[in-house]
Amino acid sequence: MNDMLGGERVLRVNWLPGSDRLVGRCHCGAETEAEDPVQMWEWLLAHPDHSAGGAGSPDPVGELPPPPAHVITDPAVVRSRTPVLV
Amino acid sequence: MTSIVRNQWYVAAYGREVGRELFSRTVCGESILFWRTEAGDVTAMSDRCVHRRFPLSQAPSHLVGDAVVCGYHGFTYGADGGCVAVPGQTRVPRTARLKAYPVVEQDSFVWVFIGEAEKAEVTAIPRAPWLDQEGWTTVSGMEPLAARASLLVDNLMDLSHETYLHGGYIGTPEVAETPITTEVDDEAGIVYVSRHMADAECPPFYATSTGLQGRITRWQDIEFVPPCLYKLHSRIAPVGSVPNPDGTDPDAFHVEVVYAITPETESSTHDFWAVARDFALDDEGVSAFLRENNRTVVLQDVVALDVLEQVLAGEPDGYQELSINIDTGGLAARRLIARLAGEGAGVAPAVGR
Repeated sequence: MNDMLGGERVLRVNWLPGSDRLVGRCHCGAETEAEDPVQMWEWLLAHPDHSAGGAGSPDPVGELPPPPAHVITDPAVVRSRTPVLV
Repeated sequence: MTSIVRNQWYVAAYGREVGRELFSRTVCGESILFWRTEAGDVTAMSDRCVHRRFPLSQAPSHLVGDAVVCGYHGFTYGADGGCVAVPGQTRVPRTARLKAYPVVEQDSFVWVFIGEAEKAEVTAIPRAPWLDQEGWTTVSGMEPLAARASLLVDNLMDLSHETYLHGGYIGTPEVAETPITTEVDDEAGIVYVSRHMADAECPPFYATSTGLQGRITRWQDIEFVPPCLYKLHSRIAPVGSVPNPDGTDPDAFHVEVVYAITPETESSTHDFWAVARDFALDDEGVSAFLRENNRTVVLQDVVALDVLEQVLAGEPDGYQELSINIDTGGLAARRLIARLAGEGAGVAPAVGR
């Protein structure tokens, strides 16, 4: 796709067609690939100190900790429940 | 800490909402009174009488010529917010004046400047010219949202949600499936997100309004001017059609979907929406269809975001989110808004949640 914004300080992130990869390009010409938009923006916004190692690394393999509970602090927002009919 | 960005222009109303009746709306936590002078100019001032805080928008407060008379004790204010008369005495106290807001009518909206008034002149008002331009027909409305403005920004910056939340209206499988391109102009303060679908199902919203049948080319180009003006440049055309090199695009239908996202309070928002089109300009049937359908789509978002606000408000701070590729534009918008908030900070009054 063509560039849409014509300014001198434009940061661009393209989603590579057919993949899950993002390609980021700084206005200074530096480019990198990443799989995480948060890490991509961090890398682009570090201009002019773009990390030579690219924008982060893929998720580490190995066992993850169990996901946390969804904690609610306000009783008013406890979702109403429908009893199960047996 | 406030999440509202100050020292910015915000849409307070449509021009058609403000006339010779007193009209009040809360913008960024400030209750503002609007009315038109006899010459037709819009005025904006604080909606509380300085005397005993009676709302000036509340009957029997009323206009007399180019002055508003408080319905409680008769304090009378001119179009600049200055008090011109008080009851029973000739001396008007020097401090008897209302905060006056810089106000501009543009592109069918009434824009008001929230912050230090002297900064209004050097702060640009975003443009949406189609809403009041020959060659375009617009339908528009406003829905109250019981959710913080940032939730609406997140919602609009990622249109892949159309597939799930708005199926049967504007959502088709291709929207969520098609990769996006994201650009940020740091100097101009613009986020641009493009999703160009070369061969897509035509959703009812566009099939009925354009008459196109079967597969279409559908381009969605989002241009967001933080903190508050969102423009979706929508291009609908037969498959294979592209604009001419000179920019003309005779085979396509163009729709400009504009949202003005105005915080009412920290946790509520005025959701102004407008749909401008460059076809079927005089067809009231198309206008009625687009008005009804876009309002339905907006209300689908409102229901979802109202629930989300309740959930977020009931959670401890620091909840964890997960962002994926579809969020690239939304993340960019958040960053620009945070930057503006930093620039506008330091003068924010306390605003209740």
